[in-house]
Amino acid sequence: MTDKLVIADREFQSRLLVGTGKFASCEIMAEAIEKSGTEVVTVALRRVDIENENDDMLAAIDRDKYLLLPNTSGARDAEEAVRLSKLARAATGINWVKLEVTPDPYYLLPDPVETLKAAEILVQDGFVVLPYINADPILAKKLEDAGTATVMPLASPIGSNQGLQTRAALEIIIEQANVPVVVDAGLGLPSHAAEAMEIGADAVLVNTAIAAAADPAEMAVAFKLAVEAGRTARLSGPGAVSRRASASSPLTGFLRNK
Amino acid sequence: MLFLFFGGVIKVEVLNINGAERQFADGVPATIADLLNHLGIKAATVVAEIDGTIVHRDKFAKTNLRHGQSIELVRFAGGG
Repeated sequence: MTDKLVIADREFQSRLLVGTGKFASCEIMAEAIEKSGTEVVTVALRRVDIENENDDMLAAIDRDKYLLLPNTSGARDAEEAVRLSKLARAATGINWVKLEVTPDPYYLLPDPVETLKAAEILVQDGFVVLPYINADPILAKKLEDAGTATVMPLASPIGSNQGLQTRAALEIIIEQANVPVVVDAGLGLPSHAAEAMEIGADAVLVNTAIAAAADPAEMAVAFKLAVEAGRTARLSGPGAVSRRASASSPLTGFLRNK
Repeated sequence: MLFLFFGGVIKVEVLNINGAERQFADGVPATIADLLNHLGIKAATVVAEIDGTIVHRDKFAKTNLRHGQSIELVRFAGGG
């Protein structure tokens, strides 16, 4: 298979990125990551809980196998996002960051102005920046021009499982982008992921839909297959959509006289 | 701060760790590595910030602490 996802200078076989939040245990998370076939997993950066020193989820992730992609979740403005990015770089030793600036606690929608500002600073500082954005084609272009490695437009609000509410705007972003488009947030079912791939997304990021499933490992398999199916369909050139029927059986030789 | 205690001098010092003040009856730990050891935190997955400046793990044992500093200790958690 020569169809590879290329982000910055790295090649990936899998077009499914997986988030590590909300899993019931590290074991369940590790199994789901394995089954998903992913090569990129996102993580958040948080204060160490000094009174309750037990949480070392990193031990469950094989860093030789998976690229760790730290996010800047919790950042409310560009300054906080830059600070988190630098801490993450110090922690991972690599300069990739999923840039998230979400000041709104109810819908967790990304702040476009602060995101662009942070992206410009981080790109200048040598980061490989993957920004989480609303499905805004103009913003996507500006980020690309600023030197981000991808754009990551949302399908619907984080963790909402609503699927591709932003489809029309996503299609414009995909049409215009010269960097990979990773559809992130809100993909609740494998069919949503397949749909994103069918309309030409380069990859998708899924967390809640896998982590919150009754059987996360099996749901991870389902998303893996859906992403592969959607990508293959995209490359196969889907047929045109029309309002009227177009017979698939011959319109001659009917068993009737007139 | 200096307090007279049983005729001797005890040096109570404080650090602000992850937003909360913490007192050390016998002075702050000498280094970040000592502090982590004191708190029972494995250094392997931690990144520290002292007064806004990042301290890399390989410098933990060489980075001295002083009374009154603000320390952030962070590590990765699950996230999307």
